[in-house]
Amino acid sequence: MPHTRKARARALHGGAALEDIAESIDSCLLCGSCEPVCPEGIGIAAMNMEQRHKLNKLRTNYPSWYPEPSGMNTRIKDNVLHNSIILIAGEYPGADLKARSAVIELLGGDKKVSLAVDDGRDIGGLLEACLPVSQDRIDDFIRPLRHADTLVVSEGLLHGPLRKWLPGKKVIGTGEALLSSAYIRKALGPEDLYIIECRGYHSDYERLVKFYDRLRKETGCQTNLDLQRIAIPTGASSLQAKKDLEAAGCLEQAGWIIRGRSMRRIVIEDLADREVFQRVTGVPVIHVSQLR
Amino acid sequence: MYIPVFERGIIPPDPVAPDSLKGIPRQKTNPSRWQGDNWQDFVQDLRSRGVTVCESRADCSVFMTDSGGVAYGLPHGVVRPSSAEDISKVLKAAQAHRVPVTTRGGGLTTEGESVAFGGLLLDMSSMNRVLEINPDAMTVRTQAGIFWHQLAEILRRDGLDYLSAPLNFTASVGGTLGVGGIDVNSPRLGCSADQTVALQVVTPTGDIVNCSEQENPELMERVLFGYGQFGVITEATLKIRKFTPITIQYFYYSSLRTAIEDLQFIAREDASDYSGILTILDRAITLLVAFDSDEREREFNARWKRNLRGHGEAGFGLHMAWHYLLHPWRIKEAVYIIGRRFKLFPEFWRSEFMHNGKIVDRSVVFSRAVWKFWGGPQLVIPDLSSKAEKFAEAVERGNAVCRKYFRHYTLYCVGIKLRGKLPRYEMSCIPPDAADIAYGCEFEPMLRGTNYSRDYLQSFKNEIYDIGVDMGLSYYRFGGMMKGYIRRAIGDELVDKHLAMKKAADPAMILNAEVIF
Repeated sequence: MPHTRKARARALHGGAALEDIAESIDSCLLCGSCEPVCPEGIGIAAMNMEQRHKLNKLRTNYPSWYPEPSGMNTRIKDNVLHNSIILIAGEYPGADLKARSAVIELLGGDKKVSLAVDDGRDIGGLLEACLPVSQDRIDDFIRPLRHADTLVVSEGLLHGPLRKWLPGKKVIGTGEALLSSAYIRKALGPEDLYIIECRGYHSDYERLVKFYDRLRKETGCQTNLDLQRIAIPTGASSLQAKKDLEAAGCLEQAGWIIRGRSMRRIVIEDLADREVFQRVTGVPVIHVSQLR
Repeated sequence: MYIPVFERGIIPPDPVAPDSLKGIPRQKTNPSRWQGDNWQDFVQDLRSRGVTVCESRADCSVFMTDSGGVAYGLPHGVVRPSSAEDISKVLKAAQAHRVPVTTRGGGLTTEGESVAFGGLLLDMSSMNRVLEINPDAMTVRTQAGIFWHQLAEILRRDGLDYLSAPLNFTASVGGTLGVGGIDVNSPRLGCSADQTVALQVVTPTGDIVNCSEQENPELMERVLFGYGQFGVITEATLKIRKFTPITIQYFYYSSLRTAIEDLQFIAREDASDYSGILTILDRAITLLVAFDSDEREREFNARWKRNLRGHGEAGFGLHMAWHYLLHPWRIKEAVYIIGRRFKLFPEFWRSEFMHNGKIVDRSVVFSRAVWKFWGGPQLVIPDLSSKAEKFAEAVERGNAVCRKYFRHYTLYCVGIKLRGKLPRYEMSCIPPDAADIAYGCEFEPMLRGTNYSRDYLQSFKNEIYDIGVDMGLSYYRFGGMMKGYIRRAIGDELVDKHLAMKKAADPAMILNAEVIF
C-alpha cells in the first residue's frame, strides 16, 4: 500500500476503513517534508495527525512503539530559567553527554545558556503518537521557558508547538544555533555530508531553506536536501525507530541519502542519526557540536 | 444519451459525420466494468506461481482514478511486481484466463488510461531502482517504474542529468516512454521516448524480450509511443548528459500568432536549448528561451534575438496598460493577469534554486511552477499536436474554446523534434504529416475555486478534440476516453493495421484494453 496522503484519501474515498490503512497511517514520520512541496498548500502533516488521532480512538491495541499511556501524566518540575538562551536538549545518551556540554559551551557557556531539565521528550512522544497531552503538562513544560529570548530545541517535533505555546520566542534547532558561528561553519567542507534534522527544518521551511542554502554555498558541503530542497529523513527520531531502527526503515533511508555520494565525514544535527549512519557507512559520523 | 458498448478488439466505424463535428455521440466515455469471469482461477494460478495479488478495498481504491479525475474504476486486484518475471507470470496467466491487465506508473494520465475498469492493475511504481550508470557511454539503465524526479536525484549525485522528461515530478519512465514525453528541450532533443537506447519488455503473452535499434527493433518501435498496447516496459536504457544550470530569457507578446511564429523560428533555427510558450489567458503570452551554456546564449543574442517581436517586461507592461486604458471594462482581467504574474514569476527566481544568476535544477523549478500554478487535484489538459503549418490555427481555435468555457486558463506550446519517419510515430502524438519538427499545445483551464461537473469538463475536452479531427491533427493523449476518435483522427488503414498487430501480439486482448483497442 503506497504511503502517500493522496493514496490514503483515495482508499477512504473508495470505502476502506481507517483500520484498513492503519499501517500506512502509522508509517508517517511527521517529518513535514510533504508540506513545503504540496502545490495546493495543504497542511498534510496536520491531516495525517488527525487520521492517527481518529485511528487511536478505534484501536483496541496501540502499536508496540507507542509511549506508555501511564506516562502521559508524568509531571516534571523544572526551575524557572533566567538566561536568554535555553537549550532543550532532548536525549543525549551515554557518551553523547559530552556533546551536550559542547553545545552549551559553543552557545556561550553556562552564564548565557540554561539547560532545561524538562526536555519535553514525553510530550514529543505523545504528539507523534497523536495521543492527548494535558494542558497541565504543557504548562509545566513551558513555565520555566518564559524568560528566554531563544529556545534551542533538539527535538524538531517540538518546534512548531513551542512557537504556538510561546509566541514571540525564537525557536531554532541545535544545528542552526551552532552554525550561526563562523568558527563552526569554517570546519565544514565539500567532503562533508551534513544531515539536517528534518522535523525542525520543515516546520520553518521558508526561512531555513535559505539558511541552509547559504551554508551550502559558503562551505561547499553536501546535505541531505533533495532537488526540491526537502530534507530526506532517516526517521531515526521516530517512536518506531526507537524500538527497532531496521524495521522502521531507517537504514534503507540512510542508504538512499548516501547513495552515489563521496564523503569523508558525516555531520549530524540529530544524535539519533549517529547509529543509523554508522551502520550503513564506514566514514566517521560526528555531531555538529564536534565540528572543529 | 445512448452509449453503445463494444467488445474489446472491435473498433467500429466512427459515428461522426464530417459536417457535424459538434455533439459527436461518443462510443464509450466511461467503459463498462469487466465482470470478473475467471478471476478466482486467475488469482489462484498467480498465487501458485508465487505472485501476491492484493484484493482488499483499500489496496484497490488507491487506484480508482487518475490525474484527470474524470474516469473512475476499480480493479479486482493489484500486483506490485518486483521483477520482469513477476510480470511475465501475470501476463501468461492473464492470457490463459482472459483477465484484463492495466499498467500504471505515476497515474498521470488524464483520460483514464491508467484506470482499471475491473481486472488486474499492475502498479509499476514498485520497480523503481536505478540499475547502472555508465558515464563512458553516457547512459543509465533503470527499472521503468521509477519516477523521473527520483532518476534525476540519482543522476545529479554524479553531476549528470537526463535529456528530456515531462515537467512533472511523478511521471514514471515507463509510462512516459509509452506515450512520448515532452519537455521544453523537445524542440531540440525530441521526445523522452526518442532518448531510449534499449528496453526490456514483457510482451502481452509473457515473454521477456530485450530490444534496441539492433536487437528486436520492430518490438522497440511498437513499444515506444505504443500506449502500452504491445508490452510492459520493465527496464529502459536512456541517454544522459552532463548536468548544466541554465539561463532563461523571456519575451512577452499580446498576439498568440506572433508568439507562435517566433517559437517556430527559434526551433527551426535551433537558436536555443529550450523554448516554449506559456500564457495567461490569451493576453499575456510569454515565450521562454533558455540556454545550457553562455556560448549558446551569446550566439542567440548576436544572431537571432533581434528577429523576435516580443517585448521586454517593461515594454509589455506599458503595452498592456495602454490596452486596458482603452478597454476599461476588462479591468478584472488586467487585475488577474497582474496578480498572477506577481505570484508566478518569483517562483522562477527562488534563491535556493539559483546560483551565479543561473537556474539550477530546472526540472524542479519548472515542475514546481507547473504544479503550483497550472496543476490541481484534477488535471484537465486536452491537447493538440500538429505540423508547423497548421499549428497557429489549431492554437487559435483551441483558445476560442477555452474562452467559451472558462474565465481563466493557460496555453502551453512547445516544439517536438522528430527523428525522421519512424514506425514508432504511427498512431502516436506525432501527427502523420509532420516533418522535422511537430508542435503541441495543451489547453488548461484554471479550476481552483470553481466546481465544474465531469460532463462540463468532458464537453470542453471534446470540443478541443473535435478541432483535431477537423484539422487532421494528433493528440498527446489519444487513449482512454478518446477511443471514439481514433478512426477519424488516425484513419481506417492505420487503425486496422495496428489492430491486426495488436491481435497477433495479444491474442486475448488483455493488456491495457481500454486505452486504444
